[in-house]
Amino acid sequence: MAAISYDSPAILKNFAGRKQITFPLLSDPDSKIIRAYGILNETAPKGPFYGIPYPGTFVVDTNGIVIAKYFEDDYTERYTSADILIKQFGAEASAAHSTIEAKHLRISASSSTAVVRPGQRIVLVLDIELKPGIHVYAPGVEGYIPIDLAIGDSAALTAHPALYPPSKMLHLQAINETVPIYTGRIRVLREVTIGKSAPVGDLLIEGAFRYQACDDEKCFIPETVPVKWALRVDPPDRQRAPAEIQHKTK
Amino acid sequence: MRVLLFLLSMGSLWAQPGPAKGSKVPDFEALDQNGSRQSLKSIMGPRGAMLVFFRSADW
Repeated sequence: MAAISYDSPAILKNFAGRKQITFPLLSDPDSKIIRAYGILNETAPKGPFYGIPYPGTFVVDTNGIVIAKYFEDDYTERYTSADILIKQFGAEASAAHSTIEAKHLRISASSSTAVVRPGQRIVLVLDIELKPGIHVYAPGVEGYIPIDLAIGDSAALTAHPALYPPSKMLHLQAINETVPIYTGRIRVLREVTIGKSAPVGDLLIEGAFRYQACDDEKCFIPETVPVKWALRVDPPDRQRAPAEIQHKTK
Repeated sequence: MRVLLFLLSMGSLWAQPGPAKGSKVPDFEALDQNGSRQSLKSIMGPRGAMLVFFRSADW
């Protein structure tokens, strides 16, 4: 992993020290790399701000081939790296963790990030373990209630569509139907973008996980399980580099 | 209609600037925060790399 900007090595050294960053921060003072990638922001005003890129992330394989791109339409919004690591690579999520024992399954709720800032896109994770012999229904099923993770929008956040894992097909001999189901362990993701006017301080995100569980013989009453994530919103970091190494009007 | 198509194509450009999915990114050389020379190869991990372009660490 590397992060690239048009800042000088001195600015990056100062920033890395303040933020305890150990991965490489690369200095592209003449925006040569930014231009080579075709992401120079030509609309930036001439002066100290000129040379910045459209902010975003490329995920490449070991041959340098792009396998995913994460650019937001709105420059005040950003994908966080922890979000990308979880979405792209199935990384563990450990922040804001809680466990819920429900009738037919156990839910481990977590977040990619515990401390967020306005405009950041993070991902909320439900790792769900169904009890042996139990199945639930996948989105797209007909005649049964599919799993659903609901999170309401508010001034503090905008929720993106939930991401459900691939299902498997179950043939029900009694009624000669094939339906999409989940068994065992599944992971449901839901990205949220923290609102620009999200109040600084504690942020409790509340959601509801709905499912209908069945075993080989019968189906149970549909359940709705409350889930929550306790996060904290920090204000945007506006601290600049020391005056002597700041970007200056050229 | 032509205007609409133009706007739509602008919209997709805006959403995903830079090298397309499936294409190779340009190699590069740059100094890191410690003054060490880095390249695409030197920052590459065993499964690939994430290249995060950001606006500034100053302002």
